[in-house]
Amino acid sequence: MFRFPILIALLLVLCSCKNKVTYEFSEPAYKQGDDPAWAGKGLSLKGWNQERGQTGTQVFWLRTDISLNRSATTEHLGILIHNFGAFEVFWDGHKIGENGKVSGSTAELPGIVTTCFLIPDSLATNGSHLLALRTSQSYEQHTQRRLGLRIQSYSSILQEPLIIMSFMNLMAGAFLIAAVYYFFLFINSNRKEYAILICCITCFLFFALLIVEYIKFYIAIPYTRFYLRLETIGWLTFAISLLVPLYFTIQFSFKRRGFLMGILLLVLLCIYVSHFREYDLTAIYFSYAMWFASFAVVINALVQKEKGAGIVLAGLLLSAIGNFFLYYDFGLFISFTIIVLCMLYLQAIRTREVEMAHQTSLLVSARLKLELLKKHIQPHFIKNTLTSLIDWVEESPKEGALFVQALAAEFDILNQISDATLVAVSKEIELCEVHLKVMQFRKEIRYDWTSSNIELSDMIPPAIIHTALENGITHSAPPEDGIIRFNLSFERGKGYKKYTLTTTAKNRPMRKDSPSGTGFQYIQARLTESYGTRWEFDSRSLTNGWQTEIKIYTPE
Amino acid sequence: MRILVVEDEGRIAGRIERMSRSFFGAQLQGITICESVEEGLLFLESNEIEVLLLDLNLNGRDGFELLKSVISGSFHTIIISAYTEKAITAFEYGVLDFVAKPFDERRLSQAFQRISVAENQKENGLRFLAVKRAGNIVLIDVNELIYIKGAGIYSELHLKNGKQELHDKSLEKLEQLLPASFERIHKSYIVPIGQSMKITVGSGSKYHLLLENGEILPIGRTRYAALKEKLFH
Repeated sequence: MFRFPILIALLLVLCSCKNKVTYEFSEPAYKQGDDPAWAGKGLSLKGWNQERGQTGTQVFWLRTDISLNRSATTEHLGILIHNFGAFEVFWDGHKIGENGKVSGSTAELPGIVTTCFLIPDSLATNGSHLLALRTSQSYEQHTQRRLGLRIQSYSSILQEPLIIMSFMNLMAGAFLIAAVYYFFLFINSNRKEYAILICCITCFLFFALLIVEYIKFYIAIPYTRFYLRLETIGWLTFAISLLVPLYFTIQFSFKRRGFLMGILLLVLLCIYVSHFREYDLTAIYFSYAMWFASFAVVINALVQKEKGAGIVLAGLLLSAIGNFFLYYDFGLFISFTIIVLCMLYLQAIRTREVEMAHQTSLLVSARLKLELLKKHIQPHFIKNTLTSLIDWVEESPKEGALFVQALAAEFDILNQISDATLVAVSKEIELCEVHLKVMQFRKEIRYDWTSSNIELSDMIPPAIIHTALENGITHSAPPEDGIIRFNLSFERGKGYKKYTLTTTAKNRPMRKDSPSGTGFQYIQARLTESYGTRWEFDSRSLTNGWQTEIKIYTPE
Repeated sequence: MRILVVEDEGRIAGRIERMSRSFFGAQLQGITICESVEEGLLFLESNEIEVLLLDLNLNGRDGFELLKSVISGSFHTIIISAYTEKAITAFEYGVLDFVAKPFDERRLSQAFQRISVAENQKENGLRFLAVKRAGNIVLIDVNELIYIKGAGIYSELHLKNGKQELHDKSLEKLEQLLPASFERIHKSYIVPIGQSMKITVGSGSKYHLLLENGEILPIGRTRYAALKEKLFH
């Protein structure tokens, strides 16, 4: 997983090995005014200043002595200049190029912040040289930007950014794909999981950060626009530093999320204010704040024994080590990459968990469906029914035919409801009534069914009242008048609905190992399948019968 | 003939009663229907019966608990059940017959006929004899038997370990339950064929059977020919 950043680091080290040019340059000297003679070597620096001073829109010159030492003389040398303003470049008095248009008769055309120039081979000898810039800085007049110089093989000046870019773009592309993937995942999932959305946004911001950081290599940014990019990077870092710990607090169910996020936000704002316009430094401090906030969450997750906390902790430590050893730009990005990869890993773990939970629920549903069907083909039901049926047919065929019809009706309803996880209560009542009819033929006991206050279209899991009814039949002996009575009543209150099945009969003696447990397990499993934990089930004997209550909590 | 029916399905209990009455006719002294295990056990405490007709699944309860406790009794047990896969186990415990639901009159009559036919249950694999010992039911493996001696309405089980147990069933009833490897050699003795060594002839043409453990048992005069046939062929 972490091979990729290491590879980049290695490549950069190799790149720098190729640079066999050594050079030194003196502190630049500035002088306001315009004289072509100032481009030449051997000029006295009297009257020249260490600072640029207030040059306004005027032309000024900048000179620096360079001592050059190179082992191989076959390569063409180039000079990379990082400077604000528009300028003409003179090397030992020879003009080797220009950047923008220096103000003069026309207004200044701003130059690019970082430019490179080829040093003529004849002038690129070992020894001391002079670099002079005829400059104007009509915009950003108050910014004292230090001159940056780098002399190395011209081809490597051109290639280096390409190599860095290739890796960074690769990385950015990967994060873009991840962002798009999580975005699709988020908009297509029924449960709007905010962890996924945060993951998506973080991936996208990180993609944007990489792009904006390295945009300098392929877009010529005039110095007037230089701070816009840095400002953007700053805000992207700010957002990422806030989102990553937020993501971890969600995934690791961190209890004081609001508190931690509030403090983090405050710290980030403080950093922004106290280090205003110190762009790179601000970004690094942001990343530190992010790191410590994430670290706190992960340590807490370890204590809570959350899944994946170990991996994320390892990632955080690795990113700290990477940050410590690497040049800060890369260090920052590599540590960010590791942390974002940790997020992706966590997301994968969570997705797997959700998938497993889904699989389990499917299995449970399949098992429940099977159980429902099995109840009516198990020998106890079917063979006792058939035995009674034979008897009815033999003894009184007319009644026998009614029995067959009742049985057929029960199987019909069963067939209709067995696939559903929720059925209309009217269907359930129909099933109960027809079941009682069948049982009446079998047991030769009179059963009486009444219902009160029922909302016929209300949905409930299939065969749960039927199961409670079976329980009532099993545990009841007929009272004096020979009729076992069942009453189903419904009650809807604030935030709940309740079904109560009351059996009025003489109770059979019950024992502890009563097998009604399996029936109740079916009811409870069905309720869990459809309502999670938002239900209550109670079944108890009364002095003159049995009472089963099913309470389902409904969203307000 | 006194019969106890333990069946929780009213219609089926009625059917059994009707068929029993038509089979036994005037022989039937009494038939009682209980619809739960507790009722059945309570009835047995104070009533003598000859036949128990038992459903194995009563109000969702496993009838085997009841079976274990009644199988040591002096009466024959016939199972009438929907759970055909339990037949083998039922026979191992020593039931006279297993009638699968749904059943017709012919099948139930067949089971009733077994009560009066003094014959080995050749096809049935009785494996245990249940005896009461200090209030508990103990299952004795039939392979542990050396011989069984009739003692009035009881039977003495003589075991390989030298001990004896008393069984509530008569020798006649046990003969009906035991597998074909057991032979009635005398009006008072049943012997597993595998335990016999040789037949000796005494004075006055009295025959005796020498068992592997050295014990000698008398052979009934009328049973000699059949035993000889079995031992030597």
